[in-house]
Amino acid sequence: MNNRFRHRILQRLQLRESWVIFFILGIIMLNFPFLNIFNKSDTLFGIPLLFLYFTAGWAVSIFVIYLFTLAVTQNSTTHHGTKEP
Amino acid sequence: VKTGLASTAIISLIYTLLIFLIAWYAHRRKLSGRSIVGNPYIYSLSIAVYCTSWTFYGSVGKAATTGIDFLMIYLGPSLTAFSWFFILRRMVQISKENNVTSIADFISLRYGKSPWLGALVTLIAILGIMPYIALQIKAVSTSFYLISGLQGQSIRIPHGSSELSVPSGFLLALILSLFSMIFGARRLVSSERHEGLVAAVAFESLVKLVSLLGVGIFVTYQLFDGFGDIFTRFQALYPEKFSQLFTLGTASTDPYYIPSFTMLFLSMGAIMLLPRQFHIMVIENSDERHITKAMWMFPVYLFLINLFVMPIALGGILATGSSAGADFFVISVPLATGHPVIAMLAFLGGLSAAAGMVIVEAVAISTMLLNHIFMPVIVRFPPQAWFPLLLINLKRCGIVLVIFLGYFYYRIVGDSFMLVNMGMISFSAAAQFLPAMLGALYWRRGNKTGAITGILFGFLTWFYTLLIPSFSHSGWISKELLSSGPFGMGLLKPTAMFGLTGMDLWSHSLFWSMLFNISGYIGCSILLHHDEGEREQLHKFIGVFEYERRQRPHTESKRLSKPVTITQFVSLMTKFIGEAEARRAIESYRGNRELDAEGNVSEFELPNLKRFTEKSLAGSVGAAAAGAIVDSFLSDMGSRMESVYDIFSTVRTSLDQSRESLFVRLKASEIINRTLDLQIIMDDLLALLLKEFKLDAAIIQLTDESGSCNVKSYQGSNRHPINDQHWFMESRPLCDLVLADRRAHFVNDTRLKPTVKLDRTIIEGILSCAHIPILREGEAPLGVMSVYSKSISGLFTEEFITLLASLTGQFAQAVTIVREIEARDNERVQKEQALLKNARVLRDMEIAQQIQLSFLPDSPPELSGIEMGGRCISAAHVGGDYYDFFRHDEQTVDLLIADVSGHSVGAALVMSEVRTLLRAQANSTHNASSILQNLNTQLYDDLTRAELFITMFYAKYNASTGRLSYANAGHNHPMICRKGQNACIELDAEGLILGVKPAVIFEERTIALQKGDVLLFYTDGLTEATDPRGEMFENGRICSHLGGVSDLPIQEIIDSFYQAVTEFTGSTTLQDDITIVVLKIL
Repeated sequence: MNNRFRHRILQRLQLRESWVIFFILGIIMLNFPFLNIFNKSDTLFGIPLLFLYFTAGWAVSIFVIYLFTLAVTQNSTTHHGTKEP
Repeated sequence: VKTGLASTAIISLIYTLLIFLIAWYAHRRKLSGRSIVGNPYIYSLSIAVYCTSWTFYGSVGKAATTGIDFLMIYLGPSLTAFSWFFILRRMVQISKENNVTSIADFISLRYGKSPWLGALVTLIAILGIMPYIALQIKAVSTSFYLISGLQGQSIRIPHGSSELSVPSGFLLALILSLFSMIFGARRLVSSERHEGLVAAVAFESLVKLVSLLGVGIFVTYQLFDGFGDIFTRFQALYPEKFSQLFTLGTASTDPYYIPSFTMLFLSMGAIMLLPRQFHIMVIENSDERHITKAMWMFPVYLFLINLFVMPIALGGILATGSSAGADFFVISVPLATGHPVIAMLAFLGGLSAAAGMVIVEAVAISTMLLNHIFMPVIVRFPPQAWFPLLLINLKRCGIVLVIFLGYFYYRIVGDSFMLVNMGMISFSAAAQFLPAMLGALYWRRGNKTGAITGILFGFLTWFYTLLIPSFSHSGWISKELLSSGPFGMGLLKPTAMFGLTGMDLWSHSLFWSMLFNISGYIGCSILLHHDEGEREQLHKFIGVFEYERRQRPHTESKRLSKPVTITQFVSLMTKFIGEAEARRAIESYRGNRELDAEGNVSEFELPNLKRFTEKSLAGSVGAAAAGAIVDSFLSDMGSRMESVYDIFSTVRTSLDQSRESLFVRLKASEIINRTLDLQIIMDDLLALLLKEFKLDAAIIQLTDESGSCNVKSYQGSNRHPINDQHWFMESRPLCDLVLADRRAHFVNDTRLKPTVKLDRTIIEGILSCAHIPILREGEAPLGVMSVYSKSISGLFTEEFITLLASLTGQFAQAVTIVREIEARDNERVQKEQALLKNARVLRDMEIAQQIQLSFLPDSPPELSGIEMGGRCISAAHVGGDYYDFFRHDEQTVDLLIADVSGHSVGAALVMSEVRTLLRAQANSTHNASSILQNLNTQLYDDLTRAELFITMFYAKYNASTGRLSYANAGHNHPMICRKGQNACIELDAEGLILGVKPAVIFEERTIALQKGDVLLFYTDGLTEATDPRGEMFENGRICSHLGGVSDLPIQEIIDSFYQAVTEFTGSTTLQDDITIVVLKIL
């Protein structure tokens, strides 16, 4: 089940549209409305909110790129596999 | 605590040596083919050349003054990494295919190899990068003072009695120049990867990361108790500052505050467009698959290197009490807390960051400088042997120039800016390439004029609104300009163009430069068209890519007006890149191509060779210069690239065939299928060619059975009859060549001394001609089609020849079919005639048979006391057998049987002659021997002439006496079957065959016949009838058979003999004529 879910996610990530959507999402997240939500001098567990938002958001975005590259390399290897059985 | 000058210098020296060692090792590994650089990890690390001393020192400074917005500089590139899979990969592919050497090369290549565009991009890069290099020099020299505890701006070296004072920044610039030359300008070929450089940069990136992490961990966990501790203590001490640093937009009163969006935008552009980033990511990429890994590893690097920036900044403020000098917290905080080792680590990290950036930047820009500023000038001079030496030294000069420009900017602007803000000036300059770059990859309409206009406008705006104001503090420009605009025009104030106030310097500049840039680019691109050179490049950048493009054959649209040999191209390349490189390049070209006997390529291949030469040169001098070099070389040779006359226009279908080509094929097949009259087909086909392709004459020759070629159809204007004086005769040798090697031969320009003399043809005004064999695949040619053009030289492209060959192929099919039909018709007619003739002969023979049968007696004469009968059956229609009865009176009757040799018509004729002669003598009283004697005399001449013989047995029977007198001319002996006797009596008499000797005496004999005797006269057909085993019927069988049937009536005796023969031979047809005459004495 877990495996199938992962496979389907990777499949979706192979689409060019997914890349564009995430790219635009990233730009939106780094601009006015979203930033304003976290643009407060509050702290969470002693860590400033904005710092937390950037750090966590960044880590997530890197993970998404990682998934993308995983999808791409998987795609190219399966392609390879079907070509030369 | 200070480390001291000497130890700092020594440690720096050792570190430098280490880097050299690594570079050298990487270079050695590359030479031995075991590269350590060709992997995604090194690639990702080398991209981190993005993190310069700006990151190392400046980020902390920025974080301590304006707060967390410094992260935007790194979030932007991290976000851009999403697009690398498409944009960066494509850029790498294009660059590898075209030997691109720099970003200026890349952009100018896309826009028609424009030298102006290349020069403009180079100029922007040089000026734009000045602040950036200045930043590095400032950072390193400042940190050097900090760590060594030196005062002032220079290093004093005792020199004899006096002291030599060298500014440390100058010294640094000198060292960096030397470094860059060693790493990046040892060889000229700049499209080649510099593995030593990459290895050094990657190592430095690693040092940066380790060093900053080290300092971060030291500050966070040594000086404080982790993140939470720093944040809490800082918030408690400086609550106002805390909220300012951790929120965006609150520091907008700061004159150097840059909004986060501006930083995000600029950094997103910079990661791809800064010359050094382009160089490392595109030019130094060894495998495009590395990009996929780098897409997440590079962001991880950025993430790690920035993780501790905020704690260091806050820790620094906490430790020093203010944010003054925050740019160098990384060094000053460890120093202030008494940890010189950590400080030294930080110093080395900063040194790495700065050195890596400066070296790559200098190498990248010097390449651009050489290829786009120096080369366009150099190519105007005739190539010299010392050019390679000149070029490499110019490149070295370029490096020095780039670094020292940065140094001078640093001297002028000096300390008036924070590090980050200086860097942002460079980012703004690089951003000017963005529209043209994106357009280059994705916008088909983007053209050269648009790109030049856009970049130029953007550059001027940047220069006016950002670079000039940056000098303001140094007093180089008057304060008047900034405060009240040029000549007092407030609207043109550099910091508030057109009255736009309230924006910071960078956003203001970004807004106006992008506005002018983008509108200039789009506007000109929409208004103007591509020129031809651009269209040629366009397909390399946009459209079907990778796999599909490789599948699709390239259609040649250019030709060289005068052929140039490979050797000439080699000697040209030698002059620019040296002989060894030139030889190597041409070997790789030669490898997989067909060359003719003289080692030259075909005319169709020449444009490829030219492009290859350009590409090889481009690897060293850039595409624009390479194009100029080859063009000027060609014009010296008297040759030039000219457009192929495009008979197909530019519309191409998906099958890569033009509609026109398909139309002509269709028309041709209509013509060919309409009729079987070859003459009409040929005339119509040639007329079609003349009409569709603007040809002036066309001729079809076909070979006949004897192998000679004859003109069958001749179309065109101004025709005169083809004779020996006709200009077409000069093409005969070419046509013979075509027939011999079965492929098309063409002359694309008759004026260029073709191999065959074409004087009269040239006088006729013919510019180009082609001769195409008429043949079916794999068969012998049936003829030649020749086409001539008076208006267009270079008409015959590979594509056109292919089309013509396909037409002649269709036509050859038609010729073959028509010839086959003709041959079949001929055969049929001949067969019919033969049949007809046969039938006629047969009828004649049947008539002859009838006549011959009528020569034989209908019925035997009736004579008392005897009974007679005879029958002749021929094997063929006519035969040579004959028998007859002549009744003289009541008592006497003559019997004869004869056989003319052969069963031909001749035999039949002789037989009729015999009959005539005999009938004439029949009533005479001559005895049998004299009749034969007469007959021999009369027939001798005729028989000799006809080479025929006759055997004959002549008998006379007298009923009253019962005696039979007879003579024999070599005939089979008749037999008598007498009652009561078992054996037969054979009648024999001396005598020679008729027609052998002119005078022969025949013996006359008589025999008395008794009642009941049965006489059998027969021809040799009876005795010589053979059974399947080869046994003959023989006299014995005749005798015994006769004995068995002698009591039967005459006709039944005769029938029984025929039946016996048929049974004996086992066949219904006779082998020879058989005649049987029977006489029975009653």
